[in-house]
Amino acid sequence: MKVLEKSEMKVITGNHAVSYGAKLARVEVIAAYPITPQTTIVELLSEMVAEGDLKARFITVESEHSAMAGCISASIAGARAFTATSSQGLALMHEMLHWAAGVRAPIVMANVNRALAAPWSIWTDQNDSLSQRDTGWMQLYAESNQEALDFVILGYKVAEQVLLPMMIVLDAFILSHTSEPVEIYPQEVVDAFLPPYQNPYALNFDNPQVIGGLADPQVYFEFRYKLQKAHERAIQVFKEEGQRFGELFGRTYDTLEPFMLEDAEEVLVTAGSTTSTARYAVQKLREKGHKVGLLKLRMFRPFPFEDIRQALRGRKKVGIIDRNLSYGHHGIFYQEIKSALYGQSGAPLLFGYVTGLGGRDIRAEDIEAIYEDLRSRTEPQEIIWKGVRL
Amino acid sequence: MKKNGNPYEWTADEFPEVTVSFRDTRGVKTGSWRNLRPVIHDQEKYGPCSKACPTNTLIPQYFYQFLERGDLDAAGQVLLKHNPIPSITGRVCPHPCERACNRKRFDEAISIREIERFVGDYILDKKGQPPAKETGKTIAVVGSGPAGMTAAYYLRQKGHRVVVFEKDPKGGGVLRYGIPEYRLPSEIVDRELQALERMGVEFRYQTKVGKDISIEELLQTYDAVFLGYGAHLERRMGIPGDEYLMSGVEFLRHVNEGNRTPPGKKVAVVGGGNVAMDVIRTLLRLGAEPVLLYRRTRKEMPALEEEIERAIEDGIEFQYLTQPIKAEKKNGKIVLTCVKMQLGEPDRSGRRRPVPIEGSEFEEEYDAVITAIGEYVDTSFLPKEVLDDHGWLVADKKTGKTAIPGLFAGGDVVSGPATVVEAIGWARRASEHIHAYVMGEELQPQPLPKTVSFLLIQMEYFQKKPRVAVPELPVEERIRAYDREEILGFNKELALQEVQRCFLCGTCNSCGNCYVFCPDAAVEWVDNKPQINYDYCKGCGICSAECPRGVIDMEQERLF
Repeated sequence: MKVLEKSEMKVITGNHAVSYGAKLARVEVIAAYPITPQTTIVELLSEMVAEGDLKARFITVESEHSAMAGCISASIAGARAFTATSSQGLALMHEMLHWAAGVRAPIVMANVNRALAAPWSIWTDQNDSLSQRDTGWMQLYAESNQEALDFVILGYKVAEQVLLPMMIVLDAFILSHTSEPVEIYPQEVVDAFLPPYQNPYALNFDNPQVIGGLADPQVYFEFRYKLQKAHERAIQVFKEEGQRFGELFGRTYDTLEPFMLEDAEEVLVTAGSTTSTARYAVQKLREKGHKVGLLKLRMFRPFPFEDIRQALRGRKKVGIIDRNLSYGHHGIFYQEIKSALYGQSGAPLLFGYVTGLGGRDIRAEDIEAIYEDLRSRTEPQEIIWKGVRL
Repeated sequence: MKKNGNPYEWTADEFPEVTVSFRDTRGVKTGSWRNLRPVIHDQEKYGPCSKACPTNTLIPQYFYQFLERGDLDAAGQVLLKHNPIPSITGRVCPHPCERACNRKRFDEAISIREIERFVGDYILDKKGQPPAKETGKTIAVVGSGPAGMTAAYYLRQKGHRVVVFEKDPKGGGVLRYGIPEYRLPSEIVDRELQALERMGVEFRYQTKVGKDISIEELLQTYDAVFLGYGAHLERRMGIPGDEYLMSGVEFLRHVNEGNRTPPGKKVAVVGGGNVAMDVIRTLLRLGAEPVLLYRRTRKEMPALEEEIERAIEDGIEFQYLTQPIKAEKKNGKIVLTCVKMQLGEPDRSGRRRPVPIEGSEFEEEYDAVITAIGEYVDTSFLPKEVLDDHGWLVADKKTGKTAIPGLFAGGDVVSGPATVVEAIGWARRASEHIHAYVMGEELQPQPLPKTVSFLLIQMEYFQKKPRVAVPELPVEERIRAYDREEILGFNKELALQEVQRCFLCGTCNSCGNCYVFCPDAAVEWVDNKPQINYDYCKGCGICSAECPRGVIDMEQERLF
């Protein structure tokens, strides 16, 4: 739906939505390495740069590790830096992800969720981004192509205030390579929302300093304390900017997004594009008279503990759909929600559904089956496998 | 956020948000971390062209003066350091430099010879400054061909009195009497000799050493003697009727002396070398209908590929696998009996040996038959102690020294028939040793410069671009014009276009890559050239890796 009169509607893939988001955010440096299913994000950006539509330096690098190193350098030199990757590429970046957060570089990166090898896969699941949970990056999970575009703009707005890097996560193929109508906002409105990046710590030649140098045990700890505090601040900043985004662009964003939740006794929790399927299934279940609701997890880091508690307090049962798994433990969203509810009065029974690994389809019937399973159970269950042939 | 005091006592709130250093980093001299040291060898290395060139002409270095600084005079001066007669090599050199050119592996080699010709012509009448001071030493040079001219140039430049002995009435040797006008106009040779005269080189024409004056006399009169004459004697075929066959060398001499009449209409030329090509292409231009007889096939022909191709373009008929075995004179014509050959096992030269096919003899009538089957050097008047068992002159290729102190030699006189550029290189090296000899100095051996290999050229920084086409006379015009140069050469615009293609291997053109890529900002920019600040250089090697043209080497740091 077009909200702003001067906007342009384009039928584009999720990847190209990300590219347009980066263009509207006026990114200044892009350092990237190609990987399926991310490649078309930076491919379009490279064309924009080559044609002069986007005034940015596009740095081709020899690996994702270098891509992130390039972004960090650009960011601490004062530029707005962008990159995109997926799966193996993200894993290769791992060391630099810690660096980005440690030097407080407000980079925005799109990660297209793709299952990790081995065995090789190019299809979606969430283990790649969730493996980077503790690097100090913020993470937003996009449900639609529009969200993918919006998150890039919103991402910079939040990241640059709290000096933390932001990862935008979208599902491989289901979003990355599937086209749907996306509203491309007028540049002047985006400019009004997102001013040029001013880095108070930007390096300069006249007073050369080192950023991220050796910190002995007498100072390291304080910096890490401040990193955590920045994350804690980021939740409120995100809520405020999500609100303001809504005022300007007509789409308001919060850490969570409820659907038919008001009177729901049973709640399903999803993240990413599965939410759309679940929304459809929940609507059908409601038509059959079931008191079911849906809670979409948009922000994963920082983790919105308070919002989760408020949304789930007093429900009977909550089924968490994890397209991921912490091996030797449980589904990752399941763990996180469980930790938010520990010791809370009125906490619901939790059921962890692990499904769709390696891109196996999660259809509306599957969501309905999960709900039927949830209804049938009386004892909480940590892992319930759905869709695997047993 | 606090800016001073002891950080160990700050609370978290007093720390900056970003982990920025408390002090300016210039106090940390990170150069002490270095194991490998980047060294900028600007213009100190050879391009593969310079290495392949028998004169070691500093090709990228003089191109740089022309291209980057627009200074043709400076370019000429760099060129003249290794080659005193570039207007000549710019026309006749088989350009081994171009075969070695790094650019050849990228798209096409640079037209080095044509650029040399342009620069050589530019400085042709400007060079020839007499030396600033005289040494009082006198040196005799025997022969005024490429070797003699080169030795004369460099020895005179050092301030020695140089006297050149030449048997012919005019100077230039093979350049004047051997190479046809359409390849090298004698006017160019005249101007090169004039440059030597301006320097104060003395010429004694029509003075044949060994007849008019002996080597022994020269050795007594002069502080040193350089033998630089050529291979003027032509091998005979040694077949019945040999006396009816003309010598190719003699034929070319007659034509170069002004006799423009061919010895007949239908002329056979026997041989497959460069002299054979010159003879047959000259015959064509003088109006004859020549045929080439060669006992092997095109693949085995010793002539330069370029010359063979040009002869074929001219439309000349080549009869391969044909060997004359007898010549007779009948009614003023030469009846040549030939036998057809086939190729057998390879001989010592690696070429397949021609073997006669029995019963394949045939006769053919010609107005004249010219042989060009190889030349050799007249050593009959040289002292025995400088000759080997075969009667060939022996001289060191690096120094030109012979067994007699003070007697030096270089070029064809030692090697037998070879190229102009080899003679120049040999004579230049010998002139350094002659200078040291007459001055009583010891020449310190210089280490050979390193060569910039293709692997050191960073292809990412270059764009493919074909060689600039060299203006030439059209074939149908050139085959009727003995006195017109067939290659017209570059004008300044074309020369500049072509020189722009050069990678400038080993020569810094201030592209700034090292400056941009240095992660420690340890490359500084001084007088439009990079300089390494070793206080901060950690020796990562990025400057070296990113140098497009192999100027910067990483060398082991000397720790002790």
